[in-house]
Amino acid sequence: MPSTRRRLLAASALFGLAIPATARTLKEALPWSPNEAYPPERVVPGPWVFFTAGEAATVEAIADRVIPADELGPGGKEAGCAVFIDRQLAGPYGTSAWLYMRPPFARGTPSQGLQDEDPPAVQYRKGLGALTSYCTGRYGGRRFEALTPQQQDEVLTAMEKGEAKDPGADLRGFFEQLLNNMTEGFFADPIYGGNKDMCGWRLLGFPGTRYDYREVIAAPNQKYTLPPVALTGRPEWMR
Amino acid sequence: MRALLLLALLLAAPRAMADSADITKILRGRYLATVGDCIACHTGPNGQYAGGRGIETPFGLINAPNLTPDSDTGIGQWSEADFARAMHEGVRPNGDRLYPAFPYPWYTKVTREDTDAIFAFLRTLPAVRNTVDRDTLPFPFSVRTVMRGWNLLFFSPGYYEPRADRSAEWNRGAYLVEGLGHCSACHTARNALGGDSSAAWQGGPLQGWFAPNLTNDARQGVGNWSVEDIVAYLRTGANARSRASGPMAEVVGYSTSLMNEADLRAIAVYLKDLPAAAPTPPAALATSDPAMRTGEALYVDNCMACHRRDGQGVEGIFPILAGSQVVQQPGTDTLMRIIISGVRSVATDGAPTSPGMPAFGWRLNDQQVADVVTYIRNSWGNQAPAASAADATRLRGLVAAAPH
Ligand code: HEC
Ligand code: HEC
Ligand code: HEC
Repeated sequence: MPSTRRRLLAASALFGLAIPATARTLKEALPWSPNEAYPPERVVPGPWVFFTAGEAATVEAIADRVIPADELGPGGKEAGCAVFIDRQLAGPYGTSAWLYMRPPFARGTPSQGLQDEDPPAVQYRKGLGALTSYCTGRYGGRRFEALTPQQQDEVLTAMEKGEAKDPGADLRGFFEQLLNNMTEGFFADPIYGGNKDMCGWRLLGFPGTRYDYREVIAAPNQKYTLPPVALTGRPEWMR
Repeated sequence: MRALLLLALLLAAPRAMADSADITKILRGRYLATVGDCIACHTGPNGQYAGGRGIETPFGLINAPNLTPDSDTGIGQWSEADFARAMHEGVRPNGDRLYPAFPYPWYTKVTREDTDAIFAFLRTLPAVRNTVDRDTLPFPFSVRTVMRGWNLLFFSPGYYEPRADRSAEWNRGAYLVEGLGHCSACHTARNALGGDSSAAWQGGPLQGWFAPNLTNDARQGVGNWSVEDIVAYLRTGANARSRASGPMAEVVGYSTSLMNEADLRAIAVYLKDLPAAAPTPPAALATSDPAMRTGEALYVDNCMACHRRDGQGVEGIFPILAGSQVVQQPGTDTLMRIIISGVRSVATDGAPTSPGMPAFGWRLNDQQVADVVTYIRNSWGNQAPAASAADATRLRGLVAAAPH
C-alpha cells in the first residue's frame, strides 16, 4: 500500500533527522574576555567643539526657553543641553556617518524623519544662520540671545508654526530638530554632556542604568525608593 | 598443524599478557599525570607536554621543559630511574638541581611505582622537537647549585608514609593532596625565599589572586563545606557556594575534573580533617563607616542585580557572597581582580555553562573598588579587614600588564 510505504519513509526521514540532532554540550561558546567594556567617551564640559561662541550662546538661550529653570530643577542651559548637542554635532551624528547619504534625496513623509542631503551639522550651521538673520532683521539688529524672554518665545512659536521664514533654511524643520536634540540632551545619560546630575531623570523618577527589578516586582504597590544612577555613577559613590 | 597452532598461542601468550600489563600501567600513568597536573605547566605553543610555558616565580620566569620522548630536546634519553630521581629529589640525570617551580617538594612523596607509571605514559607521547631555554633566571638564582642551600632549608625528600590511625580513604587523600596534587604549593603562603611559610594551609597571595585557606576555619576555610561540597567543586568547578576561576580554574580543568570520584572523596575527607587555623579577623565595620556607606551605594548599583541585595546570589550561576570564604580571605587580590577585569569560571562537563562576571574597571576608580570590596567583606555577617585603594592601584597595573 503506497500510503503505508510513504508514512514509513516519512518516519524514517524523521528519525534520520532527529538522531544526529541530539543535544551537544558546547563549552566556552559564549565569548568572554577580561577587561572587556565599551564605555562611551565621557564628555567633559570645556571649549565648544562644533559651535562658534555666537552659535553656542544662541543654542543655550533656546535651551533655557524650551526647558526653563524652575523650582523643580535647572533649565536646559544649566542641564548641559547645548554641550550635548555640540559634541553630538562634532561626532558621527553630525556628519550622518551611520546613514546612507547618497542621492537621490526624495522628500520623505514626516514619520520618516530627516530626509535631507545636509547632515545635522550642516542643518545647524544653516539653521542658526537663518535664525540670526531672522532675529536681527526683526528686532533691530539683536540676535536671539539678546532678546527678552517674551520675544524669544515669540520667535520660537513662530518657528514652530512655520510662520518664521528665512531664505537661509527651513526654520520650522530646524525647530523640530532643536526640540528633539534638546530632549535627548536633557534625558540622555550624563556621560554624553547633558542631563547634568541626572536632573532629567530625577524629574521622571527614571532609575537610570539599573536593570534588575526582581525585588521591586516581588513587593508590588510600594514606592520605588532607589535614586537614579548614571553610567558614571551617582554622588553617593564618592566619599 | 594443530600442535603448531598451539605452540604459536603459547608463545604469544606471555607477550600479550605483558602488553596488557603495560597498557594498564600506561593508563594508570596517564591518570596520575592528570592528578599531578603536569600538562598545565608543560604545555606550550608547540604542543602538549612539549614545554616552553614560562612559570612565574618570585625570582623570574622559569620555562617548563619538554617532557616528550624526543632524544635531543625532551627526556628521550632518560631512564625510569632518572625520572624517579627527578621527581623524588629534584635532580637531573647530569646532577643539575631543578628549581622548585617544578613541584618536586611535593612529588617526592609519590611512590616509585607511581612515578614509573607516569614515566611509562610519557614515553608513549609523540616525540616533539622543541628546545626550551632553561636558563632564564638572573644571577645568583641562575646558578643551580644555589638550590642545594634552598633544599637544605625547605626540602625534605621522602615517600608518603601512611598513618595507621587513619582510614585508608584518609591516607589516599593525604597521598594525593600532599603529593601529586601539590595543593599546598598554592594554598600555603610562600615565604620570601619561596619556601613554605609557617601558616600551613592558610592560603596566600598568588600571581595577583589569593589562594584561599583550606583548613576547617568556618569563616576563611572550608569549615562549613561538606565533603560533597568539596567533591562538587573539584569535579565540576562549581558548587552551591562558589565557582573556580583563575589558577584554580586551571587545576579543575586539567586535573581534578578528570579525577575519579573515589579520589575526589578521599581528597575531601583529608581536607575536612585539617584543623581550623586562620588569623582572627577584626570586628566588622559599622554600616556608618564612610567606606561602608559608599561601598553600599556601589554594591546596590553595580552588583546587586546578580549577587542579590542580601549577598545570597543565585544558585548555579551567581556565587553567594554572604559567608563566602573567597570574600573573607586576609588578602583582597582575588576580589579586586574580579571587580576590575571581570572573571569567568571554568567550564567542565559537570558544569558546562561557565558564567562570566563583567569587568568594572572602566567604571570604578581605585577608591571605589576598595570601598565595594570593604563593603562585601563586612556585610551580611562577613568579617574581614578593610581594603585599600593602593592595593586596587597595584592590581589594576597587574591586570593591565597580564590580564590572566
Ligand atoms: C607548576 C608547574 C609544573 C607542574 C605542575 C609540573 N612541572 Fe615539571 N617542571 C616545571 C618547571 C618550571 C620545570 C623546570 C625546572 C628547572 O628548570 O629547574 C620542570 C621540570 C620537570 C622535569 C625535569 C626535566 C628536565 O629536562 O630537566 C621533569 C621530569 C618534570 N618537570 C616532570 C613533571 C611531571 C611528571 C609533572 C606532573 C606529575 C610535572 N612535571 C608537573 C613545572 C611544572
Ligand atoms: C595553582 C595554584 C593552585 C593549586 C595547585 C591548587 N589550588 Fe585550589 N585554589 C587556588 C585559588 C587561586 C583558589 C581560589 C579560586 C577562586 O577564587 O575562584 C582556589 C580554590 C580552591 C577551593 C575553594 C575554596 C574556597 O573557599 O572557595 C578548594 C576546595 C581548592 N582550591 C582545593 C584545592 C585542592 C584540593 C588542590 C590540590 C588538588 C588545589 N586546590 C590546588 C589555587 C590553587
Ligand atoms: C552580570 C552579573 C554579575 C554582576 C553585575 C556582578 N557579578 Fe560578581 N560574579 C558573577 C559571576 C557569574 C561570578 C562567578 C564567576 C567566577 O567565579 O568565575 C561572580 C563572582 C564573583 C565573586 C567571586 C565569588 C566566588 O565564590 O568565587 C565575587 C567576590 C564577586 N563576584 C563580587 C562582585 C561584586 C563586588 C560586584 C559589583 C562590583 C559583582 N560581583 C557584580 C556575576 C556578576
